[in-house]
Amino acid sequence: MSEPSHSTRATSGVAASYAARRRISFPLGWWGVMLLVATETAFFGTLIASYFYLRLKAHQWPPAGIDPPDMTAPLILTGVLVTSSVPMLLAVRAARDARTGRTWLLLLVAALIQAAYLGVQIHFFGSDLDKFDPGDNAYGSIYFTLLAAHHLHVLVGILLIVWLLARLVTGLTNYRVTAVWVVAIYWYFVSILAVAVVLTQISPSL
Amino acid sequence: MASVAAPKARERIDRLQRIWEEPSGVVGWLTTVDHKRIGLMFFFTSLAFFAAGGVEALLIRTQLISPNGGLLSPNAFDEAMTMHGVTMIFLVVVPMSIGAFGNYLLPLMIGARDLAFPRMNALSFWIYLASGIFVYTGLAIGSAPNAGWFDYLPLGSKQFAPGPNIDFYTLGLIFNGLSTTATAVNLIVTTFKLRAPGMSLNRMPLFCYAMLATSFALVFALPPLNTALIFLELDRAVGFHFFDIAKGGDTLLWQHLFWIFGHPEVYIIILPAFGIATAIIPTFTRRKMVAFPLVALAEVLVAFIGFGVWVHHMFAVGLETITTIYFAAASLIIVIPSGIQLFAWITTILTGTPRFKTPLLWIVGFIVLFLLGGLSGVTFAAIPFDQQLTDTYYVVAHFHYVIFGAAVFPLLGGMYYWFPKVTGRMYYERVGQASFWLSFVGMNLTFFPMHIVGLLGMPRRQYTYPSGLGWTGYNLVETIGSYLLAAGLLLVVTNLAVSLFRGARAGNDPFGGDTLEWSTSSPPPSYNYAVIPRVTSPYAMWDREDREADERDLAGGGKRVLETGHETPASSVLDADWDEVLDMPSKSWAPLLLAAMLAATFAMLLTRHYVVAATCGALALLVLGGWHWKEPQEA
Repeated sequence: MSEPSHSTRATSGVAASYAARRRISFPLGWWGVMLLVATETAFFGTLIASYFYLRLKAHQWPPAGIDPPDMTAPLILTGVLVTSSVPMLLAVRAARDARTGRTWLLLLVAALIQAAYLGVQIHFFGSDLDKFDPGDNAYGSIYFTLLAAHHLHVLVGILLIVWLLARLVTGLTNYRVTAVWVVAIYWYFVSILAVAVVLTQISPSL
Repeated sequence: MASVAAPKARERIDRLQRIWEEPSGVVGWLTTVDHKRIGLMFFFTSLAFFAAGGVEALLIRTQLISPNGGLLSPNAFDEAMTMHGVTMIFLVVVPMSIGAFGNYLLPLMIGARDLAFPRMNALSFWIYLASGIFVYTGLAIGSAPNAGWFDYLPLGSKQFAPGPNIDFYTLGLIFNGLSTTATAVNLIVTTFKLRAPGMSLNRMPLFCYAMLATSFALVFALPPLNTALIFLELDRAVGFHFFDIAKGGDTLLWQHLFWIFGHPEVYIIILPAFGIATAIIPTFTRRKMVAFPLVALAEVLVAFIGFGVWVHHMFAVGLETITTIYFAAASLIIVIPSGIQLFAWITTILTGTPRFKTPLLWIVGFIVLFLLGGLSGVTFAAIPFDQQLTDTYYVVAHFHYVIFGAAVFPLLGGMYYWFPKVTGRMYYERVGQASFWLSFVGMNLTFFPMHIVGLLGMPRRQYTYPSGLGWTGYNLVETIGSYLLAAGLLLVVTNLAVSLFRGARAGNDPFGGDTLEWSTSSPPPSYNYAVIPRVTSPYAMWDREDREADERDLAGGGKRVLETGHETPASSVLDADWDEVLDMPSKSWAPLLLAAMLAATFAMLLTRHYVVAATCGALALLVLGGWHWKEPQEA
């Protein structure tokens, strides 16, 4: 076997790209984010399970006086969020090819899509609050808690990209190439989560 | 080391010393990222909480020494009982086993120089410390949690617990869970990625398998608890209705969520103890573990099956028969992997040449107590039997045999076993043996009679009991036992404290240990190993040729000598092929600062200042951004 590389000392785009290609196993950051995804999956799993647990115990779901959720807007929004994974994926490849400018632009595109998604979602969240309140009954409690938990994850993802955009101004390093990859994995997870959450949200209307 | 005399080797060691040295004094400890220092801080903090939890236990036992006791008011009893449970589980056993033992020993055993994420490790400790102080603030201001460590609803709801007591519980445990999750993630990535090149998974010591299984269980077990705690806090703070039956909620949802966490937690508590047992037994029996692959598999299986048995805590709440039967069956199955390990330990001792020194004595005690606790545990899988005995002292007896006898005894044995490694000094052997016997007798006197009073019908969690029910004599014995037990534990602490200053010099390897940590000096240097060790079996220390080859490398150089920075090797997950050389981060203020910001956030949530809480949260994010501004190769 050849000499193992000092990959953390790759502080130029080209060197980082070379280190990423030489690697024979997943880096530490990959494992870290995968375990984050694992524990978050368990968290949303119990949130969604609690939703259906409460629903099974209820006589009427949603309770009398609350309209069944609208299907069109949430589904379209989720579709939009999922498409932001494409620029994320391309950004990972661009970073690995040492193309700093392209990585930066792709991340910006993804962040803009996600920010637009979040803005519209917050608007809908507000208009839902005008119709019924989380303090009204268990349906309201779990409905708003589930949605707020997901919106919070979207916000964290956007902040992560903003941080990456700030860091990439001074070029790519091994650390940042891995960071782009790690943030992208987080975003794939949030996208899949969006599908699970929206299907739970609109389930009374299905 | 013998070859230190060689000038080249001396030069290398001096250079490593300079590279890895941290500032001395208080600043050094506040900014440290050294897994050994963080492990020690975890150890002493959890020891302090152990003392607090022990005092609470003695208060409970003193109150119950005779019928109609008047030492504690009903509310004070509830607080003592709740704080005892919360302290021992969240602030003592878990942080001590994974935070102290796992943190200190795991990198040494796998030949690494630090954990995978050293700064996150420091963060984990500071959060743990802050969360412990947070929960105990409740006690200090007279509003400690008082609805039991399981906090059943509606007892813990706003309606029946209007004070801040339960808020200290919910917010404190969410805060504490951050620390535990971070440590678990850190240990998993370390075990997978930082093993010395050549230590393929089948050459990894069983202790590390136990830590790995525990950490995976934590990653999946804490989210249900967090969900439950968030629901409860929302119910209490802003009037949501997750657990309010009148508004479509369900109190049993709490019990399900809590025990989906709670039962795996039992195995999370006990698996590190299994790991310590499998580390101590080979050393003192001069024999490799019997059935190594089976024991490794059993450790993982226990953690896995532990997720499918939670309803056996809920047989008496009136669930459907078909549900309870499934969970009864699952509870019986978990006996199999536990039994495999038990038989493997016993066979190893019987077929080896055991030297019953203090550490092994604690492990033999553990085997006896685990057997008893395991046997009473199986009885709960019989549903009608369980329904008779639920909420009696029989349950208290069972889980103290398991949690105290089986989880804490190996921790105490481990304290003696690794004391020479950590301090460089030997403990007093005779006092060590006396402390074991005192604790063993005290433990059985305290908890064995509880089986009987439980069968006689004495309910748990009651602040007193009337005379004339046949419980009085047993309770007296239990209280006497608890003071003997406290004396035994004090003797352990005294022995180790005095040995720290007066003990004989231990040398690198006083017991003829089997794992790598015994090859480095006592206490280990900040860089752990000057030469990344060669490993060809799980009993690396017994492979003389490898250790001699390491010595030659130290004098002669070579690629296993990493001396140009804060370096440690990273390898592939299964085969441990050498992949990269990593530069690890060094000292940082960011973890302490971030933990302080988070503590402020939780304190503001508790006092219902939501805007201030959000501001503190935003500051915490800024600290996090600043932390990651400095990349490992620059630090």
